Amino acid sequence: MSSLNPRPRKMVVLAMLLAFAAPAWAQNESDMPSTADRPMHGESAAQHDESAPPAPEFEPAIPEGMTIEEVFNFAESPPPSNFPEPLPDDKLYAFTLFEQLEYRVATDDKTADHLGWEAQGWIGGDFNKFWWKNEGEAAFDGPDEGGTETDLLYSRLITPFWDFQVGAQYANEWREGNYEDRWSGVIALQGLAPYKFELDNSLYISEDGDITFVIEAEYDLRITQRLVLQPRAEMGFAFQDIPERSLGAGMTDVKLDLRLRYEIKRGFAPYFGVRSQFLVGETDNIAEASGEDSDQLFFLAGFRFAF
Amino acid sequence: MKDDMMYSAAKTLSRREFLCTTCLVSTGLFLPSFRPIWAAQPAPKSAGEFGELNATDPGGIDLYLEHNDLLIGGKPGRAIAINGSIPGPVIRMQEGKEALIRVHNRLDESTSIHWHGILLPFNMDGVPGISFPGIPAGETFTYRYPIRQNGTYWYHSHTGLQEQLGHYGQLIIEPAEPDPVRYDVEHSIVLSDWTFEKPHRVLRKLKTMEGYYNFQRPTLANIDDQMKATGMSLSEVLEKRLAWNRMRMDPTDIADVTGATYTYLMNGKAAHENPTFIAKPGQRVRLRIVNASTMTFYDVRIPGLPMTVVQADGQNIKPVETDEFRISVAETYDVIVTLPDSRAYTLFAETMDRSGYARGTLAPRQGMSADVPEQRRRPMLTMADMGMMMHDEMQGMNGEDHEGMHHDMPHHTSGDGHGQELPTTNLVQRIKHGPDQHGPAGITMAQTAYRRLDYPGAGLGEDGRRVLTYSRLRALEEPYGRRPPTRQFDLHLTGNMHKYIWGFDGKKWSQSDMIRFQYGERLRINMINDTMMSHPIHLHGMWMDLYVGAEDYGDNPRKHTVIVQPAELLTVDITADAPGQWAFHCHLLYHMEAGMFRTVAVVRSLEGGPINVKS
Repeated sequence: MSSLNPRPRKMVVLAMLLAFAAPAWAQNESDMPSTADRPMHGESAAQHDESAPPAPEFEPAIPEGMTIEEVFNFAESPPPSNFPEPLPDDKLYAFTLFEQLEYRVATDDKTADHLGWEAQGWIGGDFNKFWWKNEGEAAFDGPDEGGTETDLLYSRLITPFWDFQVGAQYANEWREGNYEDRWSGVIALQGLAPYKFELDNSLYISEDGDITFVIEAEYDLRITQRLVLQPRAEMGFAFQDIPERSLGAGMTDVKLDLRLRYEIKRGFAPYFGVRSQFLVGETDNIAEASGEDSDQLFFLAGFRFAF
Repeated sequence: MKDDMMYSAAKTLSRREFLCTTCLVSTGLFLPSFRPIWAAQPAPKSAGEFGELNATDPGGIDLYLEHNDLLIGGKPGRAIAINGSIPGPVIRMQEGKEALIRVHNRLDESTSIHWHGILLPFNMDGVPGISFPGIPAGETFTYRYPIRQNGTYWYHSHTGLQEQLGHYGQLIIEPAEPDPVRYDVEHSIVLSDWTFEKPHRVLRKLKTMEGYYNFQRPTLANIDDQMKATGMSLSEVLEKRLAWNRMRMDPTDIADVTGATYTYLMNGKAAHENPTFIAKPGQRVRLRIVNASTMTFYDVRIPGLPMTVVQADGQNIKPVETDEFRISVAETYDVIVTLPDSRAYTLFAETMDRSGYARGTLAPRQGMSADVPEQRRRPMLTMADMGMMMHDEMQGMNGEDHEGMHHDMPHHTSGDGHGQELPTTNLVQRIKHGPDQHGPAGITMAQTAYRRLDYPGAGLGEDGRRVLTYSRLRALEEPYGRRPPTRQFDLHLTGNMHKYIWGFDGKKWSQSDMIRFQYGERLRINMINDTMMSHPIHLHGMWMDLYVGAEDYGDNPRKHTVIVQPAELLTVDITADAPGQWAFHCHLLYHMEAGMFRTVAVVRSLEGGPINVKS
């Protein structure tokens, strides 16, 4: 059809208009209720347009009071303004997941028990989302200390399994009356890696220009349909020494977790588990020099929930 | 297993408890949607008490749509009832007459009725946003159209997720000519799925938590079961599981919504309510079976009774005897059975994922029942569902191998040379996927798509019974207008099951242009399923002539809904004889709602640019 030049095309349209208009009027005047008696509209048109497909053997079903030309005009136009959208496939959704909300019992005397949490959520469509992540801990007994990290990100689905995220992080720490905080820029890649590992890789550039990198990886090992063992690893890296944060260049710290949860519902699962966290390399040396414990083991119990 | 605790809490309350004021206050707090007026009303009536109306009788018929509290499987649920019941009444029509149906919307929201499989003027098709604006709350819409076909069909809402709430029913059109199907007694059988959850919550769960309703996943605990069922060794099972994990896929992802939330219904009745269909021994019984589910494929059988399939999607076919058949969402099959004795026989409709079943009884009188078969083990997808065929399967295809022959044809354009007739037999057996992986909205699992007309589907046909496949369907008589198509295009069924995004060619409806058919043309669509799920694809307003590999082109059956299996290349030919705009979509309700939907425009000519659906 695309080979047809514009002038014959116009004539064809004219011919079709003529061909259809007459029977349509006739029909209106005689007030024929059924389309069954209509002449073969398509056939008459085809006689004039050699390039058009042959007329269908089945005469077209045309709405009462409309000519076939009017139907074509309708078919070739966007939907009328009083029509709703047939489906809201670009609706926004919101989702919140508390992966950890737990009490951490320290196994050594120096470390205080504390409350720890890690949550994330998003609001958005299939491809573009506002994504937030928040994690932190606060001592339950002993000295008032703790810290939080909040990432606020624009997230875009770039491949079926991976979101690319960019935004800002606000982090704070408090310890015996000292309060420190900082802002960083974040670039992250979050998604599902082959073998179904959930990965979250974030690169931070702090307001002082320090660069750090965090990899979080977790895996759901299903024991039964509702009982899930989740190993999890978190590794921190610094691209340079950051004395004010007691970090040395290279790998800085590792957290290895194991949680066993029972999914009472998909979105609600109590769990218990264990965490081993330790400092590595230069960062470990810095801690030891200042007499701090670099190696800690916690028992955990809490809830994982989503809504 | 049921997840909506709100409803389960309510249904355990007795009436007396309900009347006590403290309960009223406390339930009122948790169940704002429950009207306290309930306490003063009689107990809700049971679902499945529906009548029959004739829409071509003089004066037409009236349908009243209401939110009703009905007992579904014995538990109260808030349904959208048509004339007080789910399913709605069986609507009969007479071919050659005009149907007149007044639909009174007594809901507090807009609604619609789509006449599934019926050829009619586009403005009577009942798709809000495409054929008309919908029926606003409190208003009446009159459907009036000539009946130009016959057979077993159905009707349902095309608005939002209303279909999940019971807004459907069967439609039977009596032929104008003598019926080639002989029968003494007939029964309507409407299969469906029901949840006490709010449909929008179901969709939200699917969108936000992958595999939310799948409680049949591979686990450490069922390794042993898998070894026993498949005869594989431990290392083979682990190897297989690792391979699936590497692909980030779940071989047990057979159904998105399962018996974890669904109550499966036959004529509105749960399995334990045992709907009974009466027939005397020796009678030819015609069962008109429609799958009005939103998400559930059923495998239907009557243990001890062979079934003769005489009609598919309302169209007569050459009778085929079978023991079991799979019916997708929106398909219909008419079967003839004969009771050999005065015993009861179980009509068993097991869900494809084996997470539940609907069931009824065929018997000479009420109150009888037969054994309910044991449920089978849930199936798992195989490498064949990713387009990796076994060697002997490939040889069975006569060495036909036209990989890459026409897969990179541009979509939605005039395709092959104009007027050139395309072949109607011995079509290519398989095609390789092109380089376009359809972006983040599609996970292309199958790199090769191939004909699977002989494959009954995952988990079916493995237990020695005869099963129906598309390759056995033949039109009883050659339908009019069987000429070779002159244009074709490929349409990829795409999805991201991880994020629950569904579409065609990697695009959701809202991102798409209309698909244009030229009025009068014969058009071929090669559907290629890139996903790992089966999709029932439905075209409104026009037939799809399903290529089943028949020697004679006239034998290909006409269908309104076709299952496209994982990695399948399925071809349909269409006569574009219905001017207007029409819907074309996956009939799995939540896939459709997630974007697996297109507007088809049957236009004068294909010149000019395509029309954006939202422009």
